[in-house]
Amino acid sequence: MERRVFVIGAGIISAIGVGKDATIQSIMAGETGIMPVKHLVTDHSYLPVGEVKMSNAEMSQALAVNYPCNELRTVLLGMYAAKEAVEEANLTATELKSAAFIGGTTVGGMDKTERHFKKVMDTQAEAPDSGELKYNDCGYSTDFIADYIGKFKIVTTSSTACSSAANAIIMGANLIKAGIVDIAVVGGSEALSKFHLNGFNTLMILDKERCRPFDKGRAGINLGEGAAFLVLESQESAVKRGAKVLAELKGYGNSCDAFHQTATSENGEGAYLAMRKAIDMAHLNPSDIDYVNAHGTGTPNNDECEVAAMERIWGCSLPFFSSTKSFTGHTTSASGSIEAVVSILCMEKGIIPQNLGFTTPIKEGATPVQKTQSERTIKNVLNNSFGFGGNDSSLIFSKYEESHG
Amino acid sequence: MKKAMDKKCYIKSMALISCQKPLCDDWFSEPITFDQAYVRAQEPDNKEFILPSETRRMSKILKRTICTAISSLNQAGIHNPNAIITGTGMGCMENSEKFLFDMAKFGEKCLKPTLFMQSTHNTIGSLIAIVLKCHGYNNTYSHKSISFESALLDAFVQMKLGYIKNALVGSHDEITPFTSLVLKHTHPEYKFLSETSMSSVISTDSEKGVCEIESVEILHKSTPDEIATYLNETKDSILLLGVNGTAVNDNPYKSMIEKLTFTPRLLQFKHIFGENFSCSAAGFYAAAKILERQIIPNFLLWGTCSSKMNNDVPKITMVNSSVDSTWSIIKLKRI
Repeated sequence: MERRVFVIGAGIISAIGVGKDATIQSIMAGETGIMPVKHLVTDHSYLPVGEVKMSNAEMSQALAVNYPCNELRTVLLGMYAAKEAVEEANLTATELKSAAFIGGTTVGGMDKTERHFKKVMDTQAEAPDSGELKYNDCGYSTDFIADYIGKFKIVTTSSTACSSAANAIIMGANLIKAGIVDIAVVGGSEALSKFHLNGFNTLMILDKERCRPFDKGRAGINLGEGAAFLVLESQESAVKRGAKVLAELKGYGNSCDAFHQTATSENGEGAYLAMRKAIDMAHLNPSDIDYVNAHGTGTPNNDECEVAAMERIWGCSLPFFSSTKSFTGHTTSASGSIEAVVSILCMEKGIIPQNLGFTTPIKEGATPVQKTQSERTIKNVLNNSFGFGGNDSSLIFSKYEESHG
Repeated sequence: MKKAMDKKCYIKSMALISCQKPLCDDWFSEPITFDQAYVRAQEPDNKEFILPSETRRMSKILKRTICTAISSLNQAGIHNPNAIITGTGMGCMENSEKFLFDMAKFGEKCLKPTLFMQSTHNTIGSLIAIVLKCHGYNNTYSHKSISFESALLDAFVQMKLGYIKNALVGSHDEITPFTSLVLKHTHPEYKFLSETSMSSVISTDSEKGVCEIESVEILHKSTPDEIATYLNETKDSILLLGVNGTAVNDNPYKSMIEKLTFTPRLLQFKHIFGENFSCSAAGFYAAAKILERQIIPNFLLWGTCSSKMNNDVPKITMVNSSVDSTWSIIKLKRI
């Protein structure tokens, strides 16, 4: 039988709070983090965003890091989340030394690049400004975060736009199952940048109001930022170390919609296949899924196709589902791990989070959770992350049981 | 170690676009040498692989990717691989740069959506899926000099686990003239900048295979001593190194060699195919072709190796290092 993969640590930072306690409190209180722009310098300050409330200076001081990390917001956010996750997992330096660190990001150091770019362009790439562009590459972001935590054996980065973190989680789990490592720190980090805010804006898919995923009148995304990391460990290793298990990563699926760079196919083929593969790997029936934390970006296209894909799995009686992007904003490359941590926290507390901003369903039977449910027994949660290019991934986290039920 | 690890993994086919003649192995007998510090890739005739109407809006990296992807799939006789796994260090640089230029010149208005849509790293891998209508596993790795190795490791591990039987694995990086100027400051260790687009079909089936992939290792922030200790375990007789002739790049290799307890034959590839974040994919290509042909071209020898015994090549171990001390080791074996 395949090795089982457990979650033994989790850390998170987003617009709704720094750390897990603040995050779950905001969810339970129904408080959104989406607000007017505060830190990002942009002409489009009328667009609401899910910004992390701390400035780069505040974060670098708290983390005690200097140049160039103090100018790289993706790195600072990632350090916060990875630190919380690894501290909870209580790993020694020796254990980290044989572990993997798989990050997910697309923005990487773009926030720094765009601050220097005009000067680099005007001077035909003369020093010293050109040197500042070094940290643009995704790999630098992941390396800085990993090296801040400790010495790892393998460090790499998955970059599949909005499913990056989910795919980093999948790679980490595969490395554990294959016996290459026993422990993997996995997740994603993404700061808001002028580049992608403007990019999404040119696609005309940013809502000027607070986003309304799965609502008939939805008008697009509110971008967000943040980071979340999970510590995954093989069953044998976790048992041997006496680790406290938060959840089991029971299944996952990755499938490409193979339709269009920025639009989803009408019947949500990629989304359907990703969910199907995840459910099959977990050896579950669709009816075993107690809650779907949907991708639910709030664009007309995504939400309609995601509903279509869910209906192909569950027919017309869908399980509880909601998008928590109306709390955090769409945290793009980090959304897979941010929403995984939110789901694990909800499972732990027995709550199913509401889909803020929803009033009218897209169609009959497609009504997301309207009021946060508490005292629920949640055994299996399915998380969706769909990226540009149709890079679709689904993850299933299950309540930890000592033996397979 | 684990039962799953018994499954073997082979290269079925490969295609390369670089500064050498594209999509062929003319470099093997007639390598082109360059004096310039920056040379762009030689473009192939796209029409064989994709309609001109489809390529019109594609950047260079996207066109090259489609050419190498379809060429290697055709050679392997596979139309719809189980997985498409892509490496790219810098992603779609041409489009990203144009978007940045426009933003710097015109501010945050009148920007072009197409540039943004085709600017992310995964534009490359998902474009292959769109062209092939391939719904299989699709992932992209972007981690500096080990982007390709990460993609290969993903495929390798999934084959060992029995999740996939074949995969299209490649790595692609383009270097625009502007990026070449920036790289002088950000990566002064590069001596000869060029571009790489390499696609290969990896399979659990050895029939008509090029060679076997024995192992793929990524060793983050490791010392030359640690790498030597690792290599001393198996004492593989031929090492293909990522040396480029500059002290800052080559010194870690030299320190590593000093600690070896055996005397391997040493090869190099960067002087022929150029350097960028994906250039180890070109090294991988060269190593596999040597194993297939069972002959080492003299111009790949590094140091004081004699050209004797160039026609018995059981195994090549590619060792690549970056200036920030991340190493990768890929072991390839004759079938």
